[in-house]
Amino acid sequence: MDGEVFYGAAYKGSKQFRQQEVRTADATGFGAAADDYAERGIDLNEQLVRNKPATFFMRVRGDAMIGAGIHDGDVVIVDRSIKASSGKVIIATLNGEMLIRRFEKGFNKIRLIPDTSKLAPIEVDPYADFSVWGVVTYVIHAV
Amino acid sequence: MKAIIDCNSFYCSCERLYRPDLWNQPVVVLSNNDGCIIARSDEAKTIGLSMAAPYYQQRDLIAKNKVAVFSSNYHLYGDLSMRVMDTLRTILPPQCVEVYSVDEAFLDLSHLPPSSFHPFAAALRQTVEMWTGIKVSVGVAPTKVLAKMANRLAKKNKAASDCVWVLDHPEHIEEALSQFDVGDLWGIGRRYADKLRDQFGITTAHQLKQMPEAWARKHLGGVVGVRMIRELNGTPSIPLKDPLEQKKMIATTRMFGKPVYRLEELREAVASFVSRAAEKLRRQGCAASHLDVFVVTNGQAGEQYRYDPRADHRYLQMPRASSLTHELIGYAMPLVDDLFRDGQKYLKAGVTLSMIVPDSEVQQNLFTPQQNVKGKALMEAVDNLNFSMRGDVVKYVSSGLTRNWKMRQEMRSQRFTTRWEELFEIK
Repeated sequence: MDGEVFYGAAYKGSKQFRQQEVRTADATGFGAAADDYAERGIDLNEQLVRNKPATFFMRVRGDAMIGAGIHDGDVVIVDRSIKASSGKVIIATLNGEMLIRRFEKGFNKIRLIPDTSKLAPIEVDPYADFSVWGVVTYVIHAV
Repeated sequence: MKAIIDCNSFYCSCERLYRPDLWNQPVVVLSNNDGCIIARSDEAKTIGLSMAAPYYQQRDLIAKNKVAVFSSNYHLYGDLSMRVMDTLRTILPPQCVEVYSVDEAFLDLSHLPPSSFHPFAAALRQTVEMWTGIKVSVGVAPTKVLAKMANRLAKKNKAASDCVWVLDHPEHIEEALSQFDVGDLWGIGRRYADKLRDQFGITTAHQLKQMPEAWARKHLGGVVGVRMIRELNGTPSIPLKDPLEQKKMIATTRMFGKPVYRLEELREAVASFVSRAAEKLRRQGCAASHLDVFVVTNGQAGEQYRYDPRADHRYLQMPRASSLTHELIGYAMPLVDDLFRDGQKYLKAGVTLSMIVPDSEVQQNLFTPQQNVKGKALMEAVDNLNFSMRGDVVKYVSSGLTRNWKMRQEMRSQRFTTRWEELFEIK
């Protein structure tokens, strides 16, 4: 595809760290002692995006998960490569609709639990069209 | 062993990713300008919607069956394609993956133990679908041509194959070949298929496989034909290609959203196509020295399009290869002026850059000034801005500000994966 750069799945950040990018390394006088300890700065992508091809972003609308600290207007980070287990916040598909809810897997029943008193938990009918779209890993919330 | 992994109705799969309500419903995607159908889901095929037929002719059938219709959303498809290819490169060493098209990749599986092809292919299919949401089919066989055949069989018998088909026993390959239409082989077009049937009585892939190489050299396009025979016989003859191969020709052509009658508009359109093509040229670190411009007009009554190479095509050999948008626009504009005829209805235009050389090897010409360093710095700044802002935030005025001719995309979905302001909203 036009020779673009493809990143590996484990996203190594937006910049490669090179000697040339350490300004003091080019110092014409004495090299700074810090040169020996130079390392790449913190990059949010490494922390928030564990598996780049499987990571998607979504905007939250409504208060369904407000008790979990997920507010209206927040951005959630969704990883499709993680297996959903009971207690995780997931993006579910149910009868043609997409929902953000907490996944609860009992002995032989599945429930989707909102984190607000305004909505009721949904018991997933065994014959319903249900699937896990992805698992929510982080929420980006403006303070 | 080689494999080909191919996304099932790729564009439709992309449109379905965020639309679980459409997972079992017919879906079609239209070409640029909403002209004709370019992708159909299985359900849409069953209804009888046909590929490449004009959209307006199939409107009744679409309405009657409540088919979901989308304008093409290349931002979304490009991103998801990249995710599929990235997933493959995570599972396999990158040099074992050849991206063949937006929705297909050849894989080299020579390093796998013989018994593991089927479980590996099945796991691959499952992982790609889980990570990216795109359903794929995998065909595995000793050669590329046979892998393509296996892939076709996988897609034809989705229920039985679960989208995975492995041909690793000689008897299975023989059996598949004898039931396989020669015209469905990768690389055999309709014209060759007709010729093989009418002149030589060859209808199945198995018959073709038994033909001698000397015959293929004579009747099946020379070396290409010989390779085909060898591949059919299980001898790998088409290797995985180097992914970093540079394009030898870069074209940007578009239908206009509505017909263009005025010279200024035609100039604008061509200038913007030159900008796009130059951008692609710079992305591969190259410069071009040959420039082609063509237009398509509305023909006489009853004739939808007309293209007359003599009247509607101009080209120019530039004194020195260039990748600077303003230089290329400068060369293209006189060609447009020369092409333009008053009173014509223009429907489409295009630009092709060729005679492409790496930027570092540009031949200097004694009689033209050195390619200026400033120009290159400018291009880099413009490309950086446009890439990081995702769109033409900096453009040449000659490429137009209103862009009335821009293509129609009335039913385009959101750019869910590339724009912050168009993220999918979840409740």
